[in-house]
Amino acid sequence: MSETAAGAHGIRKRFGATLALDGVDFAVVAGEIHALVGENGAGKSTLVRILGGVHRPDQGTITIGGRERELASPHDAIAAGIVTIPQELQLVPALSIAENLALGDLPARRLFGAATLVDRARMREDARAQLAAFQFAPDPDLPVRGLGFAEQQIVAIAKALRRNCRVLVLDEPTAALESREIARLFAILARLKAQGTAIVYVSHRLEEIVELADRCTVLRDGRVAALACRGEFGTADLIQAMTGRAAAQRAQTRTAPGKVLVEDVGARPDAISLRAGEVIGLAGLLGSGAERVLQRLFGLVREGIVARVGDRARRLKNPSAAIDSGIGMVPRSRRLGLIMNQSVADNILLPSLGRLHRAGLVDRRAGRRLVAELMELLDIRPRRPELKVRALSGGNQQKVILAKWLARRVEVLLLDEPTQGIDIAAKQQIHALLRDFAARGGGVLLASTDLSELTRLCDAVLALRHGRIASRIDRSDGSERIEEERLHAAIVA
Amino acid sequence: MKAAARYRRLNWAGQAPLLTLVILCAVTALLNDRFISPLNLTNILVQSSIMAVIAMGMTFVVIGGGFDLSVGSTVALAGCVAGMAMLKAGIIAGVIAGIAAGILVGLANGLVVAVVGVNPFIATLGSMVLVRGIVFIITGGAPVSGEDGLPSAFVAFGNSRLFGIHYLVWVPALLLVALSVVLHLTPYGRRVYATGGGREAAYLSGIPVAQIVASTYVWCGALAGVAGVMLAARLQSGQPTAGEFYELTAIAAVVLGGASLHGGEGMLYKSIIGVFIMIVLGNSLNLLNVDSYWQRVAIGLVIIAAAAADRLRSRA
Repeated sequence: MSETAAGAHGIRKRFGATLALDGVDFAVVAGEIHALVGENGAGKSTLVRILGGVHRPDQGTITIGGRERELASPHDAIAAGIVTIPQELQLVPALSIAENLALGDLPARRLFGAATLVDRARMREDARAQLAAFQFAPDPDLPVRGLGFAEQQIVAIAKALRRNCRVLVLDEPTAALESREIARLFAILARLKAQGTAIVYVSHRLEEIVELADRCTVLRDGRVAALACRGEFGTADLIQAMTGRAAAQRAQTRTAPGKVLVEDVGARPDAISLRAGEVIGLAGLLGSGAERVLQRLFGLVREGIVARVGDRARRLKNPSAAIDSGIGMVPRSRRLGLIMNQSVADNILLPSLGRLHRAGLVDRRAGRRLVAELMELLDIRPRRPELKVRALSGGNQQKVILAKWLARRVEVLLLDEPTQGIDIAAKQQIHALLRDFAARGGGVLLASTDLSELTRLCDAVLALRHGRIASRIDRSDGSERIEEERLHAAIVA
Repeated sequence: MKAAARYRRLNWAGQAPLLTLVILCAVTALLNDRFISPLNLTNILVQSSIMAVIAMGMTFVVIGGGFDLSVGSTVALAGCVAGMAMLKAGIIAGVIAGIAAGILVGLANGLVVAVVGVNPFIATLGSMVLVRGIVFIITGGAPVSGEDGLPSAFVAFGNSRLFGIHYLVWVPALLLVALSVVLHLTPYGRRVYATGGGREAAYLSGIPVAQIVASTYVWCGALAGVAGVMLAARLQSGQPTAGEFYELTAIAAVVLGGASLHGGEGMLYKSIIGVFIMIVLGNSLNLLNVDSYWQRVAIGLVIIAAAAADRLRSRA
C-alpha cells in the first residue's frame, strides 16, 4: 500500500465524565476512501475534530506524511493539509462564488505601487478554472446563497483543494443530497482518489459506504470495533460491528387501513388523503414538492387549506389549527422541532400545555408522569427529563420530537426526513415506533430521500414530480416491502 | 456521585449575580461603615423599588426574545397622565389612567414588533423618542402637580411605611411573587420561555408566537406604567423629564441577572438582584467619594464584565 497520508495513534480524549475516545488507531493512505462509521456517541465526530485541529487529544499522536504533528488549531490542520468539510458548509452566503473560493488568499493587485486591491478579474478566472474541473460552470459572481446545497458543497470542496490538501475529511456529505447529486459527488470523489488525495468519509448511510469505501473503520464506545477492506463487509456486518449485535429482524404487523383521518379537499395535483393504520411515503427529487405536501397539511401555506378531518371540514390556517385537528409535524431540521436550550420535559410538554392545567396553573405532577412514561416508551437516553435537549444525541432528540406529539395524542404524524443523520439503532427504534403508531389507528405521512427507508416502512409510496403526484406504488399483497427498483423508476422516470 | 457534583456546580454558576451582590455589599461595608446604617439600607431599598418594577417588565420582553428601549419615556408618560387624571377625577382614576397609558405604549410596541415585524431595537427606539414627545406636548414641559399639589393620600403612599417598610418597596415584592407564578407555573409563562428560546420551533408546536411576543411588551408597558405612578408619588408630581436612561439601567440589570438577550432565559428575582447590584454599586461609589464621572466608567465596565462573564461561561 502507498504511504500513510494521515494517522492517529492511540488517541484518548475525555470530556468531563465521558471517555469519547479510548485508544483509537486510525490511518488513511493516499488515494483511498476510508469510511468512518459508528452510532451516535461512538466517537466519530470527536476523531474528526481531532484530525481537524478543533480538539486536542489527551493522549496519543497525530502523524501526517509519516511525521508527528501537533495540531493545536483548525489553522494548523489546514496548514498540514487536512481539510474538513463539515455538514454545515463554512461558506459566506452573501459573498460571490469566486470570493468564497479565494477567501484567505485573495489575489492582490498593486495600485500605484502602494495600496493593494483585489484582482477581481483573476479571481473570477481562477474560480471558473477550478469549478470546470467539477463539470460545474456557474457565473462566478453569483452569491453563494443562490446555489443549492449540492452546488455549495462542490464550491466547498473546490475551496478545500485550492489549499495544499492531502486529506479531505467529509462529514455526512450526502445527508442533504438527492440520489443524482450523490452520484455526482461520488464521481468527484473517485477522481480525487485517483489523483492521490486521501479521503475520510463519515456517514450513517451504510449502503453508500459498502459501495464507495476502500476501507472502513467502525467505532463503538470510543474504540475501534472493526477495520475491514472493500469486499470484506456488507451492511449487516457493519451494523453488527456498530451495535455489537446482529441486525434486528423486523417482525411487522400490518393492519388494514381504516377510516380517513385527514384529506386535503383542494382540487390539487398534490392533494392527499390518509387513512387510519396507514404509513404513506412521499418520494421525489429535490423540488418535487414532497415537503410542500406536508407543509399544506400542517397549515404552513399562507392562505391555509381546507381539509376534511374525520367527518368535519376544518380550515388549517396555521400549525395551531392543525394540531387542534390532531396533526403533528416532525420537521426536517431538529432545530425547528425543539427548543434546544430547554429541558427534555419542557419540550415534550410544549404542545400539551393547553391541556395540562388545573386552576390556571400547569399540572406539574401530571406532566412529570407523562414525561416519564414517554421517555420509557421511546427509550430516550439518558432518562433525565431536566437535561437540556441540546445535550442529547441526534437520535434521542428526534425521539423527543416524537414524544411531543405522542403526549398531545395526535392521530396523524407528518414527518420530513425523520431519520436523517441519526444512528442505525435509533433509526430502527423510530421505524418500529411509527409502525406501532399506525397499528394503533394513527396515520403516518413520511417524506424521505432514503429509498430503502420508504420501501421498508411504507404501505404505499407516492412519487412526486413537479409538485404533482406522478404515481402511487403499493406494496404487493403478501410482500414485506415495496420493490426499490419500481420506486426508483417512478421517481426518476 | 459525579452527576450530583456537576449539578451542584451548575447551581453555583446560576447564582453568580447573588454572589456578586453579596461580595459588593461586603466590600463596601468594610470600606465604609455608613453603608450598613438603617438609613442607607432603606434608601437603597426605596431607590431599587421603582427600577425593580421596570426590570421585571423588561425581563418578560427579554425572555420572549425582545428588547424595550421605551420604558424610560413610558415612566414619564404614566407619571404625568396619572397626575393630570388625579387632579381631575381622584386618586384611583389617576392610578388607573397612568397604568393604562403604560399598557397602551406596550400594546403599540408589541404590535409593531410582533405583528409588523420591525426589529425591536429600532421599534422601541422610535417609541422612546415619540412617547417623550407626547409627554412634553400634554404637559407643555412643566411638572404636573396642580396648584395645591397632588392629593395628600397619594403623596403619603410614596413616602410612608407599612410594617416599617415603605409602600414603594411592597409593590415590587408583591409583584415579584405574583409574576413569578405567571412565568413559571402557568401555561402562558412556559409559552413565553418557549417562544424566546426558539420562535420557529414554538410556532411549529402550535404556540401563537406573535401574540405571545406582543403580550410581553404589554407586560413591560404596564409595569413601566406602575413604576411611573410610583415615581410620581415619590416626587409628589408628574415630571416630564423623569425616567431618562431608566431603560439602560433596566436592561443592564436584566443582563446582570443572567437573562440571555437571545431570549428564552431569565428569572424575575435574578433581574431584581441585578437592579440591586446597579443601585448598590452607585451607592457604594458615592459613599467612597468616587468622582461622578468615574462612576459612569465603573458602571459601564461592570455591565460589560457581566456580559463577558456570561459569554465565557456558556462557551466553557
